[in-house]
Amino acid sequence: MDEADMKGEVYPFGVVGMANKGDCLQKGESVKFQYCVLGQNAQTMAYNITPLRRATVECVKDQFGFINYEVGDSKKLFLHVKEVQDGIELQAGDEVEFLVIFNQRAGKCTACNVWRVCEGPKAVAAPRPDRSGGEGCVGLRRRRGWAGWGWGWGGGSVSTVTRAQPGQLCRAGSAGAEALASGGAASTERPERPGPLQDETLGLASVPSQWRGVQGIRGETKSCQTASIATAEASAQTRKHADAEVQTEAPEPASLQSVPQYDGPRLVAFLRRVEAMVTRELNKNWQSHAFDGFEVNWSEQQQTVTCLHTLGYPPAQGQGLHVTGVSWNTTGSVVACAYGRLDDGDWSTLKSFVCTWNLDRRGLNPQQPSAVVEVPSAVMCLAFHPTQPSHVAGGLYNGEVLVWDVSHPEDPLLWRTGLTDDAHTDPVYQVVWLPGPQHGHRFQVLSVATDGKVLLWLAVGAGRLQLSAGFALAVQQLPRSTKLKKPPRGETEVGATAVAFSSFDPSLFVLGTEGGFPLKCSLAAEEPALTRMPSSVPLRAPAQFTFSPHGGPVYSVSCSPFHRNLFLSAGTDGHVHLYSMLQAQPLTSLQLSHKYLFAVRWSPVRPLVFAAASGEGDVQLFDLQKSSQKPTVSIKQTQDESPVYCLEFNCQQTQLLAAGDAKGVVKVWQLSSEFTEQGPRETEDLDQLAAEVAT
Amino acid sequence: MAEVEETLKRIQSHKGVIGTMVVNAEGIPIRTTLDNSTTVQYAGLLHQLTMKAKSTVRDIDPQNDLTFLRIRSKKHEIMVAPDKEYLLIAIQNPCE
Repeated sequence: MDEADMKGEVYPFGVVGMANKGDCLQKGESVKFQYCVLGQNAQTMAYNITPLRRATVECVKDQFGFINYEVGDSKKLFLHVKEVQDGIELQAGDEVEFLVIFNQRAGKCTACNVWRVCEGPKAVAAPRPDRSGGEGCVGLRRRRGWAGWGWGWGGGSVSTVTRAQPGQLCRAGSAGAEALASGGAASTERPERPGPLQDETLGLASVPSQWRGVQGIRGETKSCQTASIATAEASAQTRKHADAEVQTEAPEPASLQSVPQYDGPRLVAFLRRVEAMVTRELNKNWQSHAFDGFEVNWSEQQQTVTCLHTLGYPPAQGQGLHVTGVSWNTTGSVVACAYGRLDDGDWSTLKSFVCTWNLDRRGLNPQQPSAVVEVPSAVMCLAFHPTQPSHVAGGLYNGEVLVWDVSHPEDPLLWRTGLTDDAHTDPVYQVVWLPGPQHGHRFQVLSVATDGKVLLWLAVGAGRLQLSAGFALAVQQLPRSTKLKKPPRGETEVGATAVAFSSFDPSLFVLGTEGGFPLKCSLAAEEPALTRMPSSVPLRAPAQFTFSPHGGPVYSVSCSPFHRNLFLSAGTDGHVHLYSMLQAQPLTSLQLSHKYLFAVRWSPVRPLVFAAASGEGDVQLFDLQKSSQKPTVSIKQTQDESPVYCLEFNCQQTQLLAAGDAKGVVKVWQLSSEFTEQGPRETEDLDQLAAEVAT
Repeated sequence: MAEVEETLKRIQSHKGVIGTMVVNAEGIPIRTTLDNSTTVQYAGLLHQLTMKAKSTVRDIDPQNDLTFLRIRSKKHEIMVAPDKEYLLIAIQNPCE
């Protein structure tokens, strides 16, 4: 513990008393402190001690300099410019305040935390904001500013303005001196001044220095102006341009490595070794009965058919609308239904709806569809786009075909045909998406209606569907493969009510007609149609073969996804006919209902299973392997026998079947495992069935 | 190489055989009667499975070794005859 001398009084202090514990004191150093009385032993001690170390800078050279401060045995204190606060450049003669530290490495003392207190005298001075109380020097340099010439100023006094403007001292000082000089000169130049105004020279005013005092005005007004921007106008025009299309190629399948001489003798030896064994096993396997009747179940078997969801849209149900079409989207998670009326015969301006439900979403509300599209006329049929999960096409009662995007609720309508000459004049009964003519990405919509036209629409810009190809059915042009009833007088059109495309031949399709006979047609037909209907695109006659008719109009046809020649048709006579493309008579005819049959669909996974929707409110599932006479499962959809109008299998989640009925309700059924898992030899059985072509 | 082709033709002509192929030790098919993509698929997958089966047999009893592998599925039966350098794969439709 050291002691501090203060006017002869001695005050003890300790390290705790130091205001800045980093300071180190030396004997004889002058410090500034306060004193206090400690309670413990009533001793007065010094505290808040800060050493006063001020000196002037001796010289500065590049990175270091010396301060006129005696420490140790050297008269000067080493100083490194990095120790100077704010990076101020020190000059010789500047008064600075600092701390002394003992540098162990160098073995000598150096200055640190150097503050410049006051600037030394210098002729040149760039304006520099100096925080350390430069105004303290104002007192040493006086500045006078002229407030005016004295005209109109009372008393003819020259007012002296002293402003603390650090950094401009020297210049101002010289300016002040000039002003004084000029002022003096001016006064001599104007002898004819009005009386009261007189020039006077006053003595210099001094302001005591207050270092570390009031800072003064530190603001400076500055302004800047960007240079004007040079602009120039230039335009460019292509003189020639070329179109190029880029198409990625489908990935090449891994090609078989050609191995011309692959170690011949070794391969021969190997084959010789194993051939006998393999042959033995093949024969054994062919004759084996070991696995007869052996079935393995990998997944949980669902024994019964259950209703997963019952979906409805109350406003549509309130209007008494029926569900006229259901469709699953390409991902298998969204089901859409179209509302309309199938028994109305008038051109009512009934507003109807297209509703979609996303079944995979949590919090699915069966009465609240995920998306609702309002349609001005009754929608008769619906089909989701094969690759775009949110595009859906619908055919209306007034003959229009519309395409919506249900992911945009505010403005879902994408394209429409409009009510032109090209469009249908009768209700559109079915719409189908087909791959476009040039390449597979763009799709076109095919619509069939009871006016006998089968039209292909292509989406062009501005929301219009343009007719790209068309077919018209006329009675005179039907192939005479079967005897048909003579049509009533005057009627030449054959109304089409259903269409199904073959999965094996994309240009082959089957039409169901109002006359009850299915027609085999082709998109590639060339013969022009005998029709008086105006059309922008020439209509062709597509029919190539006529099959033997049902007892009433055919409402639904479906081509088998497993066999190229088989298709089903269902009509209002309550019968389902299984046809082969090769003959006019059906292979089998099954009576499923005493009322109408509205829809029939092959199962996408089981070759011998199909489902039919009846007018008695049932969905009937048929398994041709088990029984060819009666349905395997008959699901009651409606309690009061109101008809079921449409049904669709879900191709992604193959156990789901959606069916819509006349009460405006769509039910999603989960089928039992027997309908979703293929049995061992179904394809062969189907082939066998198809081969029963009567000779 | 006529013998190689003849042997494969003999195997292929057995009742119910859908396809035959010979695969080398790295899983690359050498001879086949099926199309490219199916062959490559069968070769890769069955090669891995044969290796696994062989190591299983050897792990259970080091004196033992795999001689033949048969996989029966709902639709057909796949037979694999393994060897040090090659694999012979035959796919047969069993009679029911």
